[in-house]
Amino acid sequence: MSETSEQPVNLTINSKSITAPGSLSVIQALWHAGYPRVKSVGCLEGVCGSCRIMVRRADSHELKMELGCQLLVEEGMEVIFLVFPNPTHHTYQLEEIKNSWEVQDKFHQIFPEADHCRHCGGCDKSCPKGIEVERGVELASKGRFGEAGELFVECVMCNFCMTACPELIAPNHVGLFSRRVTAYFHIRPSNLINRLEMLRKGDLQITQ
Amino acid sequence: MTNGIPYSDALGNYTPQRFREPSNDQTKTRDLLEQFHPDYMPDSMTTLRVGPNQGDVCHKQLADVLQSDARIEEADLAGANTVETDILVVGGGGAGCTAALTAARNGAKVILATKLRLGDSNTVMAEGGIQTSVEKGDTPQMHYDDTIKGGHHYVDKPLAAQMVMDGPNVIRWLIQQGMQFDVDKYGDLLTRRAGGTSAPRVVYYRDYTGLEMMRVLREALTNTGIEVWDYNPTVELLSNDQGHCAGAVVSSLKNCSYTLVKAKAVILATGGIGRMHLNGFPTSNHFGATGDGLVMAYRMGAKLRDLDSFQYHPSGLAYPQHLAGTLITEGVRSAGAYLLNGHGDRFVDELGPRDHVAAAILRECEEGRGVQVNETTRGVWLDTPGVELRNPGILKSRFPKLLQLGRKCGIDPAQKPLLIFPTLHYQNGGVVIDGNGCSTVRGLYCIGEVCGGIHGKNRLMGNSLLDIISFGRRAGEHAATEVHGRPHSNVSTEHLSELRRQLTLADMPMENQGPMLFPDYAKFETDSDYDGLHKAK
Ligand SMILES: Cc1cc2nc3c(=O)[nH]c(=O)nc-3n(C[C@H](O)[C@H](O)[C@H](O)COP(=O)(O)OP(=O)(O)OC[C@H]3O[C@@H](n4cnc5c(N)ncnc54)[C@H](O)[C@@H]3O)c2cc1C
Ligand code: SF4
Ligand code: SF4
Ligand code: FES
Repeated sequence: MSETSEQPVNLTINSKSITAPGSLSVIQALWHAGYPRVKSVGCLEGVCGSCRIMVRRADSHELKMELGCQLLVEEGMEVIFLVFPNPTHHTYQLEEIKNSWEVQDKFHQIFPEADHCRHCGGCDKSCPKGIEVERGVELASKGRFGEAGELFVECVMCNFCMTACPELIAPNHVGLFSRRVTAYFHIRPSNLINRLEMLRKGDLQITQ
Repeated sequence: MTNGIPYSDALGNYTPQRFREPSNDQTKTRDLLEQFHPDYMPDSMTTLRVGPNQGDVCHKQLADVLQSDARIEEADLAGANTVETDILVVGGGGAGCTAALTAARNGAKVILATKLRLGDSNTVMAEGGIQTSVEKGDTPQMHYDDTIKGGHHYVDKPLAAQMVMDGPNVIRWLIQQGMQFDVDKYGDLLTRRAGGTSAPRVVYYRDYTGLEMMRVLREALTNTGIEVWDYNPTVELLSNDQGHCAGAVVSSLKNCSYTLVKAKAVILATGGIGRMHLNGFPTSNHFGATGDGLVMAYRMGAKLRDLDSFQYHPSGLAYPQHLAGTLITEGVRSAGAYLLNGHGDRFVDELGPRDHVAAAILRECEEGRGVQVNETTRGVWLDTPGVELRNPGILKSRFPKLLQLGRKCGIDPAQKPLLIFPTLHYQNGGVVIDGNGCSTVRGLYCIGEVCGGIHGKNRLMGNSLLDIISFGRRAGEHAATEVHGRPHSNVSTEHLSELRRQLTLADMPMENQGPMLFPDYAKFETDSDYDGLHKAK
């Protein structure tokens, strides 16, 4: 059977003392204890990146960044909900990149800070999805966008890595840029294109 | 309640097997639904007494909010700021973002206001994939026929026809926004089957289709000069002298105040109703799915349809309790996973239409062949170890999210089956629209899950992600053209006076106020952080 526990645990959330079964997530524990919680709640499934929390566990001084809908409560935990940070200052439109030969050049114009990575590992440490963020930035910097993007498959754009980065690189947006240019320039499925051609020529109709 | 087979006994009896005899159950869908589907539960339906659908059958819990009083009084708006825009988009899921992007690219000034974080939505959770006919043996006609059949012939046919014809262009558009899809070694789109489809037709990105779609759309949107108001739920629409929609009342969770947005067109894209927990069911939906758009549109006079039809997805996680309702993508059954009752027998064609399969699961449980965990928790097995035996490595390569869910349950899906039970998943009905997303009220567009007609009384997997992009683009373009050069009109809440008059005439209780905005357990209405935004009474 499941190893998750129904045993009650004691912890603090936003400095409120709470007792809740150990099988609940941080958000569920707050609700369980009768406290309201609206902001920072979202998909409740670990994919929308809304429920940003900072956690200190009983046996450690270290602060960890986590998602409040995913993390199960533990004895002695201290949890603080974080608000959503400001959006990044980087802007770009894919249409501005004329062709795939220019991507690397454009990338460095859009994300000039990416070359200044200090390899401090702050981004990796803060990522609740365990993504190799720093390596992603390095790969993108070298123009290896396909590989870089592949590292960010599970990124939920919680922006923790962005907040952690002393060079204001916005590593998650670097990752998403890498993914987007890969699709924009390199995904050309012949089965789709063939179907579009047939539709264009009017070969496919629907009888209702 | 009939007791099923105790969890530990059932698990003890279970051994992974490569193949199991298919079920020879021949029960007709209609009979099965009438006996076991929640839509047919006695006493769950009522007849609407006021509004454009007066006399129509509607789920009781939904009827309560459709016929509720407004949350706001005239006095709440007295000091409110007024802002003008060409187009106001309400809701930042896939449909809303697509419409906003398209409208802005067609020259309109757009504000997008959404309840919580931009992209917190059902869309971001829709990991299964999106339907479009691209395979050699497939055609738009087959896609259309499946959609009609799946919807039990209650489908608005021209809408469905338009949507399936849009399919390939929708995928092309998504790729142009920078969305990735899984392709084979020649670069062709990979497809998989979905329940109720006659050909493999679902294209996808791993088991993260919705996440990939949503982060790409959000990135495209925030780079397009559209004003985004996050943490800004809309609580009411505004009308002009002719009764057309001319804007909305938006409430800010950031500074607890209301803003009047004057708009030449409003595009409602507020999504579904899962968090209303109809009939007490758990749900797969995100936190903000509380049916707000239906309530606001209905008060403006927009016609709705199929308000008695909801989709209960067959494979919601039943156990452990804290994850109850979490969706396990249909992709797992498409990949060949069997459904087994407590005796280890298959009892239904696993890839039949969702309502049929969900009803069959409820039947097994009702008739004592389910697996019983405790008083309230029961279900049937999703035989994931069987799929893994037949295709070693498939769970890891194609369903990483399922394995992650398993870790949270303390169950390894490659070794042990997961216990599942139907979960409230999708609102089949909704606002009546035309091919451009126009509702029956001028100036009011509705797109995405808030609409009805496209999927009849039962939606096929993958058709919703298609619908939101197809209609999102059309509505965005149409609205941008419509509003061009048109002046703003005077706005008022006159339609609310009319609502109150009708409720009084029909002798309806006025205590209940809507829209809901958040489920009760979040305690929004008593949270002192939001003083000033609570219900008027
Ligand atoms: C777990 C899950 C898996 C799914 N899998 C698939 C799949 O594989 N394939 C498929 O085709 N479909 C799938 N679906 C269905 C599909 O995801 C949805 O039907 C579709 O994404 C709806 O899109 P939408 O833009 O209409 O609504 P949503 O994406 O839900 O967006 C609605 C937005 O409106 C906001 N909102 C709500 N009320 C207000 C208000 N009062 N004011 C302001 N904003 C408001 C919400 O917060 C949200 O941001 C799935 C659904 C779920 C829940
Ligand atoms: S890469 Fe950054 S934004 Fe993405 S999940 Fe990790 S910390 Fe969050
Ligand atoms: S936090 Fe910034 S500077 Fe540090 S390793 Fe990551 S990307 Fe480089
Ligand atoms: S609520 Fe969406 S990630 Fe936690």
